[in-house]
Amino acid sequence: MSFIPGLGLAKGMALTLRRFFEPKVTIRYPEEAADVSPKFRGRLQLLYDEWGTLKCETCFQCAQACPIECIDMGGTDTKGRYHVHWGAPETYGERRDESALRRSGRPVPDEAYRHFEPIDLAAVDAILAKHDFDPKEMLGILGDVQEAYGHLPVAALKRISSSTGAWYATLYGTASSYRHLRFDPPVTAVAVCRCTGCLMSGAGRIQEALERSLGSRLGLAPARGQIRLEQLPGHIPGAPSPLVTVAGEPQSVTPAAVEKWAAGLAKRAAGRPQA
Amino acid sequence: MTTVSRAWSRLTLPGKLIFTLIPLLAALTVGLLVALLLIGPFVWTFLTDNLPLVRFVIAATAVLLMSIPTAFIIIYMEMKIIAQMNLRIGPDRVGPYGSLLSVVHGLKVLVKEDFTPTGADTPVFTLAPVVVYLGAVMSLMVIPFAPGLFGQDFNIGLLYFFAVGGLSVVGLMMAGWSSYNKYSLLGGLRSAAQVISYEIPLTLSVVGLLMLAGTMSLNTIVLNQSGSILDWYIFRQPLGFLIFFIAATAEANRTPFDLTEADSEIVAGFATEYSGMRFGFFFFAEYVGVFIVSAMTVTLFLGGWNAPFDWPWPITVNPDPGSLGILLLILIGVVPVLSTLAFAAPFWLLRSNMPGWQALIIGFVISNLVAVAAVLGWAFISFDWVVGLLWFMLKTYAFVFTFVWMRGTLPRVRIDQLMGFAWKWLLPASLLNLFVTAGALIVLNR
Repeated sequence: MSFIPGLGLAKGMALTLRRFFEPKVTIRYPEEAADVSPKFRGRLQLLYDEWGTLKCETCFQCAQACPIECIDMGGTDTKGRYHVHWGAPETYGERRDESALRRSGRPVPDEAYRHFEPIDLAAVDAILAKHDFDPKEMLGILGDVQEAYGHLPVAALKRISSSTGAWYATLYGTASSYRHLRFDPPVTAVAVCRCTGCLMSGAGRIQEALERSLGSRLGLAPARGQIRLEQLPGHIPGAPSPLVTVAGEPQSVTPAAVEKWAAGLAKRAAGRPQA
Repeated sequence: MTTVSRAWSRLTLPGKLIFTLIPLLAALTVGLLVALLLIGPFVWTFLTDNLPLVRFVIAATAVLLMSIPTAFIIIYMEMKIIAQMNLRIGPDRVGPYGSLLSVVHGLKVLVKEDFTPTGADTPVFTLAPVVVYLGAVMSLMVIPFAPGLFGQDFNIGLLYFFAVGGLSVVGLMMAGWSSYNKYSLLGGLRSAAQVISYEIPLTLSVVGLLMLAGTMSLNTIVLNQSGSILDWYIFRQPLGFLIFFIAATAEANRTPFDLTEADSEIVAGFATEYSGMRFGFFFFAEYVGVFIVSAMTVTLFLGGWNAPFDWPWPITVNPDPGSLGILLLILIGVVPVLSTLAFAAPFWLLRSNMPGWQALIIGFVISNLVAVAAVLGWAFISFDWVVGLLWFMLKTYAFVFTFVWMRGTLPRVRIDQLMGFAWKWLLPASLLNLFVTAGALIVLNR
């Protein structure tokens, strides 16, 4: 016999006997405490940075990842988007410090979250039917909705969630991970260059005309429409002056034809499916 | 009368208790004294005429009283030793070094709800823990703890031990059947099968020893091993010892044979439907069983209460204090003071920041400890039963440590491996041991 019967038992028992006399690894809390590194994130608290704002951005990734849906968060995210309240009502709570939000200059939300605007959901239903209501094709579905509406309306997301069975929070979280998906309505940025060369070429008149037809002022957020008037930070080399860009693309506009051009731009922007 | 009732209503609850109990106790004491005076002599003559009966009652009471603290000690040992082997600390908050934890466990099972499941056979259900516990405690009656310190010295003591061990099987079956639970029944059947199949190698392995000893009386077996360590039966019956140890581990439902009570097995086996003190009885019976098999191993194979070398006891130290005369009085007055000062001096001299009174207290405590140690040492060398008890307990707890060590190390065997091992290996091995011993006795003409 190449093996000795009982040797395994003896070796095992010798090992435990040796362990009997070795120093123990128990940490006797509270007399002793374990060392944690300064980067340890196991605390059950939200952290603040040195300026007093919460570091949590309510990106919802943790809630999306949680398998038992126990994470909930309130508050608007950094772009002022729709609050996401999801989960048991007793877990709601405004974790954003309101005074910190006010300090940052961002709009402070009110307690009752504003309802999303209802939209025409026919396009959403068509897209869902095309993808066979399969939550595994979520990225395709979201991309199609983005194409149809120009952005991801909340009503569309809710319809997708109820039809496919995917959690709304998952959709929200997925959509915020992709750069091509956006939640707010697209804003066309019409930028006017105000460098000396362009100003000599009539950029001022172009700017006034655009302001009149679009009903907004330079640099302000668009009042109701989707066209935002901006100032280019610098002249694009090689572009003719006066330089007007729409979404970064230089347009050929002359001061004489700017009125008609701006009206056409506004009408085209308004003609997209409403959102 | 109204004075009394008014005074009574002005008392608080403790006051009412005291004023009721003290007259009651006084009346009872007076009654007891009167009864003693009247019937005392008759009772005394009755007792002295029936001394064996008195001895039996005292022995049974002592065995019952000692079994629970033994179980507590073994439970504490198990928790601590297995923890230390797992590089943990084990209980260390309840009492010094966690020693009161098993006591707290015992109190906990007392206060738990004690229910009987519907459909259970109530008398059988209630009596099953009693039978199992009896099977454990009755075996303690024949174990010789020290010379003269045993319950009864049967001349068939070993047979009695095995018979009573079989009684616990009845208790297991009662528990499994009366629980009205198919899993309890299965667990009880498996447990009963395990116990009875290991009883055969257990009994056969000591038959060789019986042939060598010529008697089944445990006290005589221990006396046969007196002398030195080489007289112990382990050297004359090594295979018998090994088989007995393994079979006894299985009898006591210890690892590696503990699948009837392992947490991952059929809930708690036969004890699934038990709670509260009934489960406490099963629990204690198991740990008393560990003590019993260790004690039996020690008694049969390791010399019981014999020391490994020839202990020259009793050494009669005959101090005769009376012969000192007046010197005795002087010594009584002077020695405590002197010893306190003597033990305090090194602390006070060698530590600069120790105040004098603290050194004196330390000296007093140490001199008391030394005096107690001296008295114990005198008892140790003068009374053979003190020595014997100490050696017996040392050896038994060494085996308890071994059982706990095995529990912390070894994996469990399956039921089929368990039964196969008993019937295919232990039984033939014990028969082989028997034949070899018999052959050797014939050859050596003993």
